[in-house]
Amino acid sequence: MLREKGFNAFILVGGLAAWRKAGQPLEIVPREDLVKLPTFS
Amino acid sequence: MTDLLALISRHGYILVAAVVFAESIGLPVPAALALVAAGAAVAAHVLRAPVLLPLALAAMVLGDCLLFLAGKYSGWALLGFLCKVSANPETCILRSAESFYKRGRMTLVIAKFIPGVNTMGPPLAGSMKMPFRQFLRFDTAGAALYVLAYFGLGYLGRNFLKAIGQTFQSAGHTVEEVLLIAVAGYIAYRIWLLRKNRIYRVVPRIQVQELVQKLASEEAGRILVVDVRSHGYYNAEAARIKGSIRIEPNNLEEELKRLPRDKDVYLYCT
Repeated sequence: MLREKGFNAFILVGGLAAWRKAGQPLEIVPREDLVKLPTFS
Repeated sequence: MTDLLALISRHGYILVAAVVFAESIGLPVPAALALVAAGAAVAAHVLRAPVLLPLALAAMVLGDCLLFLAGKYSGWALLGFLCKVSANPETCILRSAESFYKRGRMTLVIAKFIPGVNTMGPPLAGSMKMPFRQFLRFDTAGAALYVLAYFGLGYLGRNFLKAIGQTFQSAGHTVEEVLLIAVAGYIAYRIWLLRKNRIYRVVPRIQVQELVQKLASEEAGRILVVDVRSHGYYNAEAARIKGSIRIEPNNLEEELKRLPRDKDVYLYCT
């Protein structure tokens, strides 16, 4: 879809798991980006 | 059915409890059928209801409690794993949680009768921080309803089940043929799906080391690493590739409007 819209898009093979396995740097997801799901508490 | 009845009469209570427990932890075994056969076995005085019913109920509640605790302590990870087999894994967690929340705790009482929801209910309740005592109350009610319904069906319809069993035996060849056709149809569908999705292979792929090199080069300013996961964004301690941004895959049309067009976009998921 991105390519259809004119973006020069690529896919990272293996995704986050491969990135993590290769020992590359990660960061904690910022609080404002977290999706709040409903809870019963 | 007659084979299952014979098996149950030989191995009795342990077999019924094991099948019920296995189904409650999400394994694809027919607990309802085992309970119907057990009901018929009780009607035929092969098994005893005062032993069978509490055992089946305990097995079911025990399995549910394990999934509840797994859901509670794994955050949304267990649900994410279960959602992988759903039609749309990216929306599965969000839709399941919202639907469960809207319908309320009583969902647990009827969840056992709804395929798919029966396995999702306990871990969902755990992930949604339902108090354990409350979960136990609703889940036990649901499990009791389920066990009694199928047990009662077998108990009351014993003669009817015998007739069904005999019909199945005489129609065995037809059933085998239908199953073979169904398997062939499924394989054909998977091949069609594979061919249809070949179009996605034209999107260029990049290995981790290649991307790392690009990020360390002068090209870095033209690179945008984009996280398209949904599942990674439900737990507070979730991690992502350093410097990446997130786009919500369920809202792609809107999200694309804020992506810069002068950059190369590198997408990743789990």
